[in-house]
Amino acid sequence: MVSWSRAQSPWIVHFNTGGCNACDIEVLAALDPRFDVERFGVLLKGSPRHGDILVVTGPVNRQIRDRIIRIYEQMPEPKFVLSVGNCCNSGGVYRGCYNVYPGLDSVIPVSAYVYGCPPKPEAILGAVAALQAKIKSG
Amino acid sequence: MSTTIFKVPVGPQHPALKEPENFTFYVEGENVVKVEARIGYAHKGIEKLMESKTYLQNIPLVERICGICNTAHTVCYTQNIEYLYEKPPPRRAEYLRVLIEELNRIHSHLLWLGVVGHEVGFDTLFMYVWRDRELILDLIEALTGNRVSMSFTTIGGTRRDLTPQVEHRIRKGMDILEERTKYYKRTVPIDPTISARSKGIGILTPDEAVQLCAVGPMRRASAIKEDVRKDDPYAAHDEVPFNVISYDTCDFYARIMVRVDETLESIDMVRYCLDHMPSGPVRIRLPNTPPVGEAVSKVEAPRGEDIHYVRSNGTDKPARYKVRAPTLGNLAPLLQSMTTRGRYEVNVADIPVLLAGIDPCMCCMDRMLRFIEPSKGKSWVWTMEQLKKYTRKM
Amino acid sequence: MSTSNEEHIASEVKSLLGENLLEVKIPRPRRLFLKVSREAYKQAAKHLIQNMNINHVSTITAADSGKEMDVMAYLFGRGVEVTLKATVPKEDPKIPTLTDIVPGATFYEREVFDLFGIVFEGHPNLERLILPEDWPAGVYPLRKEYKVTRLKGPREVE
Repeated sequence: MVSWSRAQSPWIVHFNTGGCNACDIEVLAALDPRFDVERFGVLLKGSPRHGDILVVTGPVNRQIRDRIIRIYEQMPEPKFVLSVGNCCNSGGVYRGCYNVYPGLDSVIPVSAYVYGCPPKPEAILGAVAALQAKIKSG
Repeated sequence: MSTTIFKVPVGPQHPALKEPENFTFYVEGENVVKVEARIGYAHKGIEKLMESKTYLQNIPLVERICGICNTAHTVCYTQNIEYLYEKPPPRRAEYLRVLIEELNRIHSHLLWLGVVGHEVGFDTLFMYVWRDRELILDLIEALTGNRVSMSFTTIGGTRRDLTPQVEHRIRKGMDILEERTKYYKRTVPIDPTISARSKGIGILTPDEAVQLCAVGPMRRASAIKEDVRKDDPYAAHDEVPFNVISYDTCDFYARIMVRVDETLESIDMVRYCLDHMPSGPVRIRLPNTPPVGEAVSKVEAPRGEDIHYVRSNGTDKPARYKVRAPTLGNLAPLLQSMTTRGRYEVNVADIPVLLAGIDPCMCCMDRMLRFIEPSKGKSWVWTMEQLKKYTRKM
Repeated sequence: MSTSNEEHIASEVKSLLGENLLEVKIPRPRRLFLKVSREAYKQAAKHLIQNMNINHVSTITAADSGKEMDVMAYLFGRGVEVTLKATVPKEDPKIPTLTDIVPGATFYEREVFDLFGIVFEGHPNLERLILPEDWPAGVYPLRKEYKVTRLKGPREVE
């Protein structure tokens, strides 16, 4: 019962670790196709304590590391993490920079990865739908 | 009078998290008397990395310094390397660069306009404008193969060419966007919400703009008619005509109108490029290793003057590459525009709008504000929503 | 024969500094590179900014050339982007600030201090600008000696 109602409207927390914003533009295009401001508000202002899916963009750097770990820890179980874009997946173009970790999964567990620089909105939507199905199936 | 301190942390987060702030506002009564900024939360170390990659490999890296101003950085970079070779790209490539630059400027200005609309509570504007953005992204994709971050420009010219079908689509797109932007130009000045939240708000005098080295629309909104495309022409800007837009009210409203008018100018520039596109190749091949030397390249990015410096040492990797993106150039002017001084008052109520004015990233817009009142030993936290509710009651 | 803007600016600085103007390069229109001694850096900047109205500071940066570092201030005015360069030795990386002449130089000098460790004497608050809080003091990543090491996260397994 709980998993069904959760799957109907998962609370998504969108967090940009400090990337170039290209992925954020596509995340917004994917998840708010009709630019519904109410949903927009829910999407971005969701507190981690109510979050089901944490959507992360951008490379993880030293400054943001502790914050993303804390946000992840604040989320209740079951929780899922979507790593969006090459930078989040592996450091991307910034791999090798003195301040960048080689991927979000070196800092917190990741449930799914979307490749692209930036990924197309359709790819992001597909990944969210796949995670929703996972939530539904318990 | 006790001073209250507003601390504005980075990004959407829970109030209980103690995080380094990126803006601290010192307030007396309703007036903001001092602003401090702590930046660097997005610092990655790109310039160092560029020294270990070849000139060609550095193109996608430079492009991703900012996903919204990406075209400006790539044009500035490729030009810079071409200065080292002392070999300009073909004329057709220079026109194509102006074309992609101006399309990018239209996109960036519309995106900003939508953000500002959302922030002042003019959500209809926000929804219209963000729908228009999708049209531009489609045109950019048709021309370059990607909606964002497309590495269209390369050292020696451009990687792709304009086809008649894409030209036709761009022309149609410009007609639609012109009509829409003219509509925004009519509605924005007379809309009471926008006027109230922007006229006379966030003043930056012309003297301050010069002393603090403001760039771009921020500078031009303070009555200074300067633009890299006119003062230091590059690519095809020596031939493509346009007007340098400036407004003299020096307030946030002027910054909005400068961008609206610049969008209309860019639409005309796009059409001019299509009408006068020279024939010929789009790229010359250059050897991997540029001559030893140094060069400075500047472009007018949507946010302002973008300047790059390169030093080559005879290898295929730069010895030093410096990028000064426009936003850093506007940090000191921004802080000044948010400070009460002389006869210019800045109120707590202005904070959300003035902050929105610089930050394009939507998820960074949600900020938690920490309040401290030392004299009463109290501290509490408001969300941006709570602050707005408080200011609306005033 | 009329002198170009670039030549005119260079010759004025030459009359002002004499031997302290070490090198002049005009690689292309609207670009002037002036190398001056460290002692003459502030005087040259002051003249360009206050007397010649070349008062827009585009940026200030540095470059490591081995035993020394070059400080470069980019000033735009009169249609020319002037790069004013002065060299500081690594054992004594100090140079006067320009913030008393142009307040807009403040963040640029802080960035150079952060990444290169060059001290701008007289700067009102020369502090870290962009490196993270826990970055080790005395380590300047844009100096050539600094070698990038791969960052390892808490969850990384070899």
